[in-house]
Amino acid sequence: MNKFVKGLAAAGVAAAMSQGAFAACGNVTIAEMNWASAEFMANVDKMILEAGYGCSVEMIPGATLTTFASMDTKGVPDVAPELWTQAVEIPLKAALASGSLHSVNPKPIAGAGEGWVVPDYTLVNHPELKTVLDIIEHPELFPFNEDPSKGAFVGCPAGWGCQQVNANLFRAFDMEAKGWVLVDPGSAAGLDGAMAKAVQRGDDYFGYYWSPTAMMGKYKMQMVDFGVPFVEMDHWTNCITQANCIEPQQSAWSASEINTIVTDSFIKNNDPKAVAYFGKRVFPADEMGEMLVYMGDNQASGSDAAFEFLKNYEDLWTQWVGVQAANLIKKSLN
Amino acid sequence: MAIFDEFPSMGRADLMDLKKGIDFAFSDFSRENGEAIEGFFDPLMFFMVWFEKLLMNAPWPLMILIFAVLAWLGARSIPIVIGTIISFLIIGRFGMWEDTMATVAIISVATFLCIGLGIPLGILMSRSNRVQAVITPVLDIMQTIPSFVYLIPVVMLLGIGKVPGLIAVCIYALPPIVRLTNLGIRLVDKEVLEAAEAFGSNYRQKLFDVQMPLALPNIFAGVNQTIMMALAMVVIAAMIGVKGLGVNVLKAVSNQYLALGIMNGLAIVALAVIFDRVSQAYGKRLQKHRQGGHGV
Repeated sequence: MNKFVKGLAAAGVAAAMSQGAFAACGNVTIAEMNWASAEFMANVDKMILEAGYGCSVEMIPGATLTTFASMDTKGVPDVAPELWTQAVEIPLKAALASGSLHSVNPKPIAGAGEGWVVPDYTLVNHPELKTVLDIIEHPELFPFNEDPSKGAFVGCPAGWGCQQVNANLFRAFDMEAKGWVLVDPGSAAGLDGAMAKAVQRGDDYFGYYWSPTAMMGKYKMQMVDFGVPFVEMDHWTNCITQANCIEPQQSAWSASEINTIVTDSFIKNNDPKAVAYFGKRVFPADEMGEMLVYMGDNQASGSDAAFEFLKNYEDLWTQWVGVQAANLIKKSLN
Repeated sequence: MAIFDEFPSMGRADLMDLKKGIDFAFSDFSRENGEAIEGFFDPLMFFMVWFEKLLMNAPWPLMILIFAVLAWLGARSIPIVIGTIISFLIIGRFGMWEDTMATVAIISVATFLCIGLGIPLGILMSRSNRVQAVITPVLDIMQTIPSFVYLIPVVMLLGIGKVPGLIAVCIYALPPIVRLTNLGIRLVDKEVLEAAEAFGSNYRQKLFDVQMPLALPNIFAGVNQTIMMALAMVVIAAMIGVKGLGVNVLKAVSNQYLALGIMNGLAIVALAVIFDRVSQAYGKRLQKHRQGGHGV
């Protein structure tokens, strides 16, 4: 009887253990993509899985197409934290339908994508400017230096895919008649330089950019709501992105689809809590921007930035994990 | 010894502080003075905008006629004039007329600016060995430093557009005219100068009536080189928002558009050949007239 009770108790403890932090998290492989935000996210995931859930994490360097192909065919790596899914749309759909891959987070970075941006102080100084529709009525706020009677909208460098979209949206919003000039910055350096120069001087600036990037974080640029909905995909792909679009319609920029994708075996063989973490892990645009600036300014690696993030943004990441995991992670930071 | 195995470089942190210090100092400078510097260049910018519009909006037959007349005045050679007309007709036929006019506009302004700055600088250099010792290394830097390096501060100070593009072009295209003006004046025979002195020439007369005319073939070789180098910078200038043929070359590079790249590249070559033949022929004619050349 006594023995039986003891045995029962031991079993109970063992059961409790297995429900706890160290339940069934074995080896996990995470794709570390070759750009800053993905590198940073992969390292945050690594530290949280290792410290909070007792996983043993291995990083696998990759790029969008190669990593996806490997996950799709070999099931390795287990996790792609930041996969830009438009590049692999068709095979990804098939893999999701067959159940070999799962999307555990459809929007890991809030506000990620392309669009039209202004500095934050422009919105503060001109509270009436709420959407692109409002801004395009005020070209006088963004004077073009070669013709100050016009407003400058800095588009994409010649040859980029977005150049056509900007040119067509420029026409769709009838911006020429409203007194705007579409400026071609010539190159990535020209685009960054134009934005950096304007913001350093405190000038108002209106142009194209994308997020998450260190530039958006460093110069505190804000993506502006277009004030019109996205037109249907058919018009976007067959007209707005094309050079010979006769009558482009007003539209918001097509949403960039970023997903956190995991393999089926990761979900089946791992702690459901670790899987649930990925679902909750959403980086707000501002915090992501600040971390990218930190990486750029200090030439920090993804793991340096992840450590810095976990130390400084406790309020944010503790919402993503359970209390127990949060305590373990905090302990690991000291 | 360990010190020989690895270079005792500055620590990562110190190096970072140094780089950040330079960056911040330049940011501060640009924030405080950028607007004033931009304002200083405003008249030049408005002139360039006006000039580009003029070339672009002028009727094309008139422009071809002007180019043909200029080619004739420069070269006095029927083949060169015919070549010029055919080149521009082909350029127009392939839809590159406006871009070519934009390129011609910036190249012309850059050339005149370089001549206006370069010849006085060259004269100054030829007057004094000390000035020459100071200016020569500066010219070396201007010619060899990778253009991408000075694009960064130029864009931070002046933004993107015509003036920063013009400055980028001139940094590269200015040295030959300065060097060859200096060289041309220094190569004038001592005996000739002594003769001029014997006739009682003063300093001005010696410079403008003896040395400069004798140096003209060299100076013209400098002008020719300056034009060539300015054309070579068309694509780099396009990277900071200068309109013209360079933009299409960049577009072709980023999308592997073979035909677009070749067509615009050849249009730049055509401009270069025309400018080169006309200015060389003009230089040679000067030499013949003066009969005072000393071998170019």
